[in-house]
Amino acid sequence: MTVGLIIMAAVLIGGLYMAWGIGANDVANAMGTSVGSGALTLLSAIILAGVLEFAGSVLIGASVTQTISKGIVDTQLFDITGRYGDRGPTILALGMLCALVAAAAWLHIATHIGLPVSTTHSIVGAVMGIGLVSFGIRGVDWGTMGGIVASWVISPVLGGILAFVSFWAIRRYILASPDPVLATVRTTPYIVAAVAAVMVLSFIYKVLKNRMDVPPILLALAVAIGVGVIVGIMTAAFTRSLAPPPGMKPYDFVERVFALLQIGTACFVAFAHGANDVANAVGPVAAVVSIYQAGFASVPAEVGVPLWVLVLGGAGIVVGLATLGYRVIATIGKEITEITPTRGFSAEFGAATTVLLASTLGLPVSTTHTLVGAVIGVGFARGIGALNLRIIRNIVNSWLATVPVSAAAAAVLFAIARLFV
Amino acid sequence: MRPIIALFGKSPFGPLAQHAEQVRATVDLIHPLVESFLAGDRDRTYELYEQISKLEHKADIIKNDIRDHLPKSLLMPVDRGDVLTFLKEQDSLADRAEDVGVLVTMRDTRAPDAMKDAVMSLVDAILEAATAWFRIAAELPTLEGASFAGPEVDRMMDQIKKVSNLEWEADKRQAEATRVMFEHEAEIGPVSVVLWMNIFRALGSVADHAENTADLLRVMLAKR
Repeated sequence: MTVGLIIMAAVLIGGLYMAWGIGANDVANAMGTSVGSGALTLLSAIILAGVLEFAGSVLIGASVTQTISKGIVDTQLFDITGRYGDRGPTILALGMLCALVAAAAWLHIATHIGLPVSTTHSIVGAVMGIGLVSFGIRGVDWGTMGGIVASWVISPVLGGILAFVSFWAIRRYILASPDPVLATVRTTPYIVAAVAAVMVLSFIYKVLKNRMDVPPILLALAVAIGVGVIVGIMTAAFTRSLAPPPGMKPYDFVERVFALLQIGTACFVAFAHGANDVANAVGPVAAVVSIYQAGFASVPAEVGVPLWVLVLGGAGIVVGLATLGYRVIATIGKEITEITPTRGFSAEFGAATTVLLASTLGLPVSTTHTLVGAVIGVGFARGIGALNLRIIRNIVNSWLATVPVSAAAAAVLFAIARLFV
Repeated sequence: MRPIIALFGKSPFGPLAQHAEQVRATVDLIHPLVESFLAGDRDRTYELYEQISKLEHKADIIKNDIRDHLPKSLLMPVDRGDVLTFLKEQDSLADRAEDVGVLVTMRDTRAPDAMKDAVMSLVDAILEAATAWFRIAAELPTLEGASFAGPEVDRMMDQIKKVSNLEWEADKRQAEATRVMFEHEAEIGPVSVVLWMNIFRALGSVADHAENTADLLRVMLAKR
């Protein structure tokens, strides 16, 4: 039991550290361009991102957390009836700790040597390594793992397609219209309604799923559309009086309006990011907590993720954002000046919708890679002056490196640590 | 490495407009150059030629910098090949301006007073065509902002047609200047005739390249 307590304390510290790292590094992708375009000040970006990351983590974060804590490795193999007997639950808890440490260590090293690694890929690889070292090939749920790997390919592509369609529509109906100013004023309420509806949809769906007998997706759709319409009408009341100040070029006016809309999509990205990425930190924590609550006497088969674990993860992300993340946001804002608000809006909308969809399905995807796919989608819609497609090769290389390396690191660490319990 | 930063390449459209500005500075000197040449002021002519040569070199530097930042892996709203050909054509305006400078400084070629009006009128015509192009080139970043669509493109298409008309006008003036020159062939001698032919050709091709560059932009816009 003392060993159990030590593991519990260590995994909490590890999870918090990981959450801190996510907040410090990855939140910047959501807010960087809005700060760069001047739509948001650094301070308001941090506050908005903090609130929405936390909300996403706590409200939607459970699905992906479950996948990482018990979807990848067949945790039932560690029950007291399994190969390890009484020590099983303790060994699983130790394994999850090792996975967390290995993933964090690999992230550090890879970032240091300049690889574009993803937190998601690191933790998924590490957890997989624990399954492999314990039970060989049958220790890993290959169905779940296959779905995860497929989602890594699908999510950037889907993000790209959605972003392409978004920018194509903006180009067709606003930029290419005879009067871009009028077109902006007329179209904005519909755009806001669409963003609001998509954002509300997954949240409502999650809430309804556990409490209703009716098919929740239909009801959720109805509520989301309702909210979208109301928000759209409210926006229309506001935009009707919008007009460019004298002397302002039409396209500058369009961009200025979209800078405001982009605040909305940046929040959307932050929400989706919290929903997806909190699991990278608290997935292993949730696994250990459920074993801890069973007194290290069994591996519970069906338990939800305790709310406080998600709160802890969300809080860790917010602290990371507040202590270091703001600097990364400022850097990204300065570096990416090529992306104007119409483009940023399209890319963020495509990426966030994809990530939120994946989170709802319990699939841990990389927010960064999805955003990269979305930006490329805008590029294909002739929205961006120059995109360096070589980054795609780098990203694929980093998948190929990250998963085996973090799996091996976790496996080695675990094989050694296991000797002591 | 942050993938989201590494993703963004250097957009060529701002630098292309900058290159146009440099070429414009070079081409604009053709007027004082030919003027001082016709006035027989050799020192001043040589001085202007050296200035043109320096400015042309600066345009080359911008050109090479743009080329260096256009690897094959770049995704752009226009075809990479079109951009490179476009850049080459635009740079040729400056090259031809330099050629004029070389031709008027290599030999003490005299022009009878009767020719002067025709020559200056040709110079004015080619500068008008070139200037019409430079006005379009300055709008390249705006076109990028509009993602090569909409009323901005229509406006550019009209301007491109104007460049074409002005080039046609320059052609006529070149023929006229050549005709006037041959009226005085006995007076200026056969060697000067050869040199004048080359000067006219170089001047005329400044307008030709302005038209070609504009046509390449038309191609890029038409592919939208």
